Amino acid sequence: MSIPGISVLDGKYMVTMDLFPQESKEFNQIHLFYEFLKEGRFTTTKCKDCGVEAFPPRILCPDCYSTNMEWIDWPTTGTVIDVTEEVVGVPLGFGKPPLVHALVDLEGKKTFFVRIINCKEGELKSGDKVRLAVFDVEPVPQEMGREVVLIPRVFYAFEPMK
Amino acid sequence: MERNVCVVAGGMSKWGVRDGSQRDFFQEAAKACYDDSPQLNPKEIDGLLVASAYTERTSYQTHLAPMVAEYAGIKPKNICARVELLCASGSSAIILAFGLIKSGQADVVMVAGGEKLYTPQRWEVFYSELASVDHDWDGTQGLGLPPPVFAMVAKQHMKQYGTVKEHLATISVKNRRNSAKNPKAQFQTPVTMEEVMSGRMIVAPLTLYDCCPITDGAAAVVLAIEEKAKDMTDKPLVYLRGTGQASVNNMSANMPDWTTWEALKIAANQAYSKAKVTPKDINVAMTHDCFTISEIIEMEDLGFCNKGEGGPFVGAGQNDFGGLIPTNTDGGLLGCGHPFGGTGIRQAMEVMKQLRGDAIQQVPNATVGLTHNLSGFIAAHTVLIYGREVA
Repeated sequence: MSIPGISVLDGKYMVTMDLFPQESKEFNQIHLFYEFLKEGRFTTTKCKDCGVEAFPPRILCPDCYSTNMEWIDWPTTGTVIDVTEEVVGVPLGFGKPPLVHALVDLEGKKTFFVRIINCKEGELKSGDKVRLAVFDVEPVPQEMGREVVLIPRVFYAFEPMK
Repeated sequence: MERNVCVVAGGMSKWGVRDGSQRDFFQEAAKACYDDSPQLNPKEIDGLLVASAYTERTSYQTHLAPMVAEYAGIKPKNICARVELLCASGSSAIILAFGLIKSGQADVVMVAGGEKLYTPQRWEVFYSELASVDHDWDGTQGLGLPPPVFAMVAKQHMKQYGTVKEHLATISVKNRRNSAKNPKAQFQTPVTMEEVMSGRMIVAPLTLYDCCPITDGAAAVVLAIEEKAKDMTDKPLVYLRGTGQASVNNMSANMPDWTTWEALKIAANQAYSKAKVTPKDINVAMTHDCFTISEIIEMEDLGFCNKGEGGPFVGAGQNDFGGLIPTNTDGGLLGCGHPFGGTGIRQAMEVMKQLRGDAIQQVPNATVGLTHNLSGFIAAHTVLIYGREVA
């Protein structure tokens, strides 16, 4: 049984309650990151003028302030430095506890603190290898003129390499 | 002529899981602040800065400052605006009030901060907190609630420096003992070492008492130019001597170091330098104990002990009464709770009382005090230094 809410909101999508970012080109100038993610690629933007590879991807170089950027591929595998397992207080949308996170060295590019999925409690240890895991998330019902079109979306976590 | 800035009055609502609304708590805080100094005429307040992080999210209210002004019965004529830096919103607003008074844009500024975080269904605040970090990149990894972040910090600190769970527990026991004597604090009971060590697991190595709670409440202080401050209180004047606020990264992937907080060292150096003091001159400190490990690293990066020695330092009681630097004498975040916008103001109020000599648990002869906040994914640090004399 659904919990009664505010009747005026029935069936309405609210971006303020959306866990995931807006990934469509109408709402995000780095939408290509998500397009590449759908192909299993983990990418970011590199400054064509000074060579800095920043993450998150962006339209302005934080080092030389150029806007001359290109997309480059980053590694999709990394090594676990350490692991945490949250057993209480997992926010909505992240499944049943434990919510596993790991500090992952992405082959020297960056140290990411990321969610680990497809992983049992106690399974992951320092030194283990993990790889990019892309999954579908709920589409956004976006107004296109008088139509409402469902915009498909993906997001990423990492998973143990068995 | 130098325009010196004093903090002349402060008060807070009862903090905790409260009955009431955000606007109720701001009125309670204003009343407590007015009651702190009967010589202060609220009609003389010419500026208001309001600190609140989640007002749009959990109270569905933007344009908050004029509403607080209306309810607090003040009519600002020089500034009336809101300031947001999540957990450091309150301290940020004090820095801005300091600058406005120093520069002559205002003479008497109230800084009020607070939140109503609990909603009729409790899941909502946890869900909303996914906005506390970089929402698109860290929130989407389930990191809005910070326990996993600080658990990772604690694990790394333990690995690098040999810090142990008992060191973390010392902080909980100290701050809960202090909050039990503070009637405005969320937690009114002390906890024993045994209770803390056997607390419910949240994210290893952090258990229940390592984590500050979600809190409703508000606090307010009044800052004034020295010439007017003299007539606004019959207590000793407390001066704001120097401030620093630094950020070197936001998203987790850009953290330079998990166990040495570079932005904290930068902010502290700025504040020490402007206040013309060194860590040795600080008599009392309110640091951001959102988690027990935070207070340990803060002892190191604020310069109260050597890097890596924070565990043994707190274990030996050096940041308790009778030690080198009594810290979180009113209970800190672990004991008082943490309504984001209110915390920096609560800290300012406790330091003001310590330096005036009328704190509930007084540090003898305290003349210089410090407050510190961290905010977001340990992404910004804010340090303020107060004294009985001008810098």
